[in-house]
Amino acid sequence: MAYKKVCRFCEVGARRIDYKDGPTLERFLTDRGKILPRRATGTCARHQRQLGTAIKRARHLALVPYIQGYYD
Amino acid sequence: MRDYEVVYIFKSSLGTEDIESRVQTYHEKILAGPDAAITAVVHWGKRELAYPIEDEKNGYYVVAQFSAPPEVLTGFERVLKLDDDLLRHLVVISEGELPTPPADIGGGPGRGDDQDDSDDVRPKPRSHDDSGDDNSSNDDAGDDDAGDDDAGDDDAADDAGDDDAGDEDAGDDDAGDDDAGDDDAGDDDAGDDDAADDAGDDNAEQEA
Repeated sequence: MAYKKVCRFCEVGARRIDYKDGPTLERFLTDRGKILPRRATGTCARHQRQLGTAIKRARHLALVPYIQGYYD
Repeated sequence: MRDYEVVYIFKSSLGTEDIESRVQTYHEKILAGPDAAITAVVHWGKRELAYPIEDEKNGYYVVAQFSAPPEVLTGFERVLKLDDDLLRHLVVISEGELPTPPADIGGGPGRGDDQDDSDDVRPKPRSHDDSGDDNSSNDDAGDDDAGDDDAGDDDAADDAGDDDAGDEDAGDDDAGDDDAGDDDAGDDDAGDDDAADDAGDDNAEQEA
């Protein structure tokens, strides 16, 4: 029953985080579009760094929002 | 010679042939370099933008990979910036993945849809109920402090977070490996017991 947080990206052995994969990146955003902290997601340090870069690229490409709901 | 990846977002009002020819024009700039080659071009097609760009709600996405000497990029990007029908572009060093389209191609990251999805899949902050009693007993053996602070579940979670931060600072080694070490104490006990607090604090101090 013990619950241990494991980095989602380490779990699947991801070498790189794809900035083009919007739906995956959205899991690591708040409902307003902010990047969730590691303490909330369990992402390891290396992947959190890659994740930050990927999310920022994806925002530029309008794959994920800068601010969720801003234009609603 | 480097491998690059470029993403174009065109206004969705453009026709497919028009977009094809524009992409061709851009790529001529790349191919001007010695040994340059376009390795892949993938059309994602029309997708909904996560936010409007120049009042456009949809964009036509094209992803291409190429290898070229870095010198050609300045001329290449200048052409991209001059095209008013190109809403966005991004040139990055390729990380070797294929430019596969996302699973929801065509649908786009619709804001309405996403809220449903993200609620389901977003990793939740750890739940406080499911930490095993085994762990707490182990930690009690190590730390005599158990029971000092009865601040409760919330503090346990907070301190576990601190624990992570400490590890990150100390971690010259791979982040993935950290979990094998002292990090475990904090993570396992994130749930309910006070022992988790103490374990986390101790580690942080030592590392500091």
